[in-house]
Amino acid sequence: MKILVPIKRVVDYNVRVQVKPDGSGVATDGVKMSINPFDEIAIEEALRLKEQGKADEVVVVSIGPDEAQQQLRTALAMGADRAILLQSGEAVQPLQAANALLKIVQEEQPELVIMGKQAIDDDNNQTPQMLATLWDRPQATFVSKLSLENNKATATREVDAGLETIEVELPAVISTDLRLNEPRFVKLPDIMKAKRKPLETRPLSDVTGDFSEQELTITQYEAPQPRQKGVMVESVDELITLLKEKGLVA
Amino acid sequence: MSPVDTETLLQTHVPEVAFSTAPDALVHYACDWTRFHTPQAEAVLWPRTTGQVQQIVRLANAIGKALVPSGGRTGYSAGAVATAGEWVVSMDKMRQIGPFDPVDRLVSVQAGVATGQLQEFAHAQGLFYPVDFASAGSSQIGGNIATNAGGIRVLRYGTTRDYVAGLTVVTGTGEILRLNNGLVKNATGLDLRHLMIGSEGVLGIITEAQMRLIDPPAASSVMLLALSSLDAVMRVFAQARGKLTLSSFELFSHLALQYVMNHRQLAAPFSGESPWYVLLEFDHASDTDEDAAMAFFETGLESGDIEDGILSGSLEQARQLWQYREGISESIAEHTPYKNDIAVRISQVPTFMRQLDAVLKQHYPGFETVWFGHIGDGNLHLNILKPEDMDVAEFQRQCEAVNTHVYGLIESLEGSVSAEHGVGLLKKPYLHHSRSQTEIALMRQIKQAFDPNGVLNPGKMLPDS
Repeated sequence: MKILVPIKRVVDYNVRVQVKPDGSGVATDGVKMSINPFDEIAIEEALRLKEQGKADEVVVVSIGPDEAQQQLRTALAMGADRAILLQSGEAVQPLQAANALLKIVQEEQPELVIMGKQAIDDDNNQTPQMLATLWDRPQATFVSKLSLENNKATATREVDAGLETIEVELPAVISTDLRLNEPRFVKLPDIMKAKRKPLETRPLSDVTGDFSEQELTITQYEAPQPRQKGVMVESVDELITLLKEKGLVA
Repeated sequence: MSPVDTETLLQTHVPEVAFSTAPDALVHYACDWTRFHTPQAEAVLWPRTTGQVQQIVRLANAIGKALVPSGGRTGYSAGAVATAGEWVVSMDKMRQIGPFDPVDRLVSVQAGVATGQLQEFAHAQGLFYPVDFASAGSSQIGGNIATNAGGIRVLRYGTTRDYVAGLTVVTGTGEILRLNNGLVKNATGLDLRHLMIGSEGVLGIITEAQMRLIDPPAASSVMLLALSSLDAVMRVFAQARGKLTLSSFELFSHLALQYVMNHRQLAAPFSGESPWYVLLEFDHASDTDEDAAMAFFETGLESGDIEDGILSGSLEQARQLWQYREGISESIAEHTPYKNDIAVRISQVPTFMRQLDAVLKQHYPGFETVWFGHIGDGNLHLNILKPEDMDVAEFQRQCEAVNTHVYGLIESLEGSVSAEHGVGLLKKPYLHHSRSQTEIALMRQIKQAFDPNGVLNPGKMLPDS
């Protein structure tokens, strides 16, 4: 069985991002870039399935700039077998990403696509659902536990009311939640070995054609307003007076 | 003096200065992070300006009262404790930060600004204040300067001294000195600013400073390496320094790793077992950095010095790898460790460790020794754990005897009895192992020049004559 894992290069989760002075985006010069943490969990899950003998090949794919090869190399060092980079210097919207991934799915014919539920840069949470729809296959989203048996995936999902367990027929799309697993450390000897693993690069436009009609333009980035300092009040009466002054209670 | 007399005195002579004689405040402000001395302060004072500090020092001279300058009180050497009815001069109300000059890249701070507050301020300007340590949230710039604080990035960025461009100080006689005024170049005789840095409050009270901010560092990664021997540690350090831009190079033993893993319930980082581990933090922003890191690792692997290695893939993994090093102190705390913070020249580290290990094995065969430290700075933390069947008093008595060996060895290697924790009351009896009698005599004369009446932090740093 083959598993396809789409991953995205993003500003590291622990970086305190800063908006560029002209509001055209988030400053990325000299900023630590990493694999989107939900995608890292997806890679880990695919590798565990392979180690359990449930899968025999793990292919990672990314859409992004040439530098995204670093993240693909990391995935290969973790244990993935092959990598594909769809090169694009531009920001890609979820529908375009899903269309590009659909092409790769049609070429690779995986039984399972495991991917992060969302990327932490734009927080869209759309690509897995769009891919499943375009592919016309079942999906299990926000998965915190996964097992494979008899061409079926049993997935525990984190939903508002608690946990829900569903069964989907393969091939299917799984989107990962944080509690699914804890990704492994990358061993340096494995990074050396990963250099010899295949990494194919192709322009994104070769896969999806021209997507300019769907283009969404972000006109302005702004940092959130800093939190106002708290005020200590002496009494309940004072609190009510203050709330009334601010028009927060009638 | 009765509390009432003290209150009257303060209200009369320094009416603008807030103070307290409440017992709980006195205990709180008379202590630092050491717990060996009985706190005994007469009052705690909270000046808001350099002028108010001057008034306090003048009053202290007039009535012969001892003062203890006080910052975040996170020190480990009892440099800021009050044990003899002193007045504690707290910088807690001197927390103004700014103005900032973007051309000079200098920010003016009052002495009570927390280290973390300065780091935050630098970040907001798109700049960086590199001095950092575990207590950054509560330690204060004034105290950092008075102890020349170091921390986790000394290897790359140096100590607090390297970021002080100007100082305002009230001397022991109540004179106000403005030193260096933010100049980059200033070849006009003795630089009193540098005399004040690391002076532990015995020459003057630092009230304001101009601190230098720098460009933020490049993106970094953390490498954890398993090494085959102690000699390999030094060779790997030399290689790493040559090939990478290092900001940390930390060492710990297999025993230290076992304590951390047990205490924090961490998985073993490697499948095998190695005698020593080093943690490196280095610039990792480009493919060139990546190639250099891999070339460094391959060289070590081929020579047999490096047995295995892990590279952080994200800042979260970097934090997880740091846990193996940062968790050591906490993990051995329950074994009542005898601690020592010492330094030797980097090249002497293996010699020092071997010789001391030999002494300990010979004279104290029941002792378990946990080694770790900032090897890139030649700074070692020696921790001897109390054997379970030995009572605390007997253990402390034996450790006092161990001191003789430790400090004797340090003296023979021309090392330091206090690498980054200062002298205070704790290391005062051992200062002569690191500083000559002539040096100590000169220090006394300097103290006399700045504080002839001995009102500032008496009894600290300089050995009793």
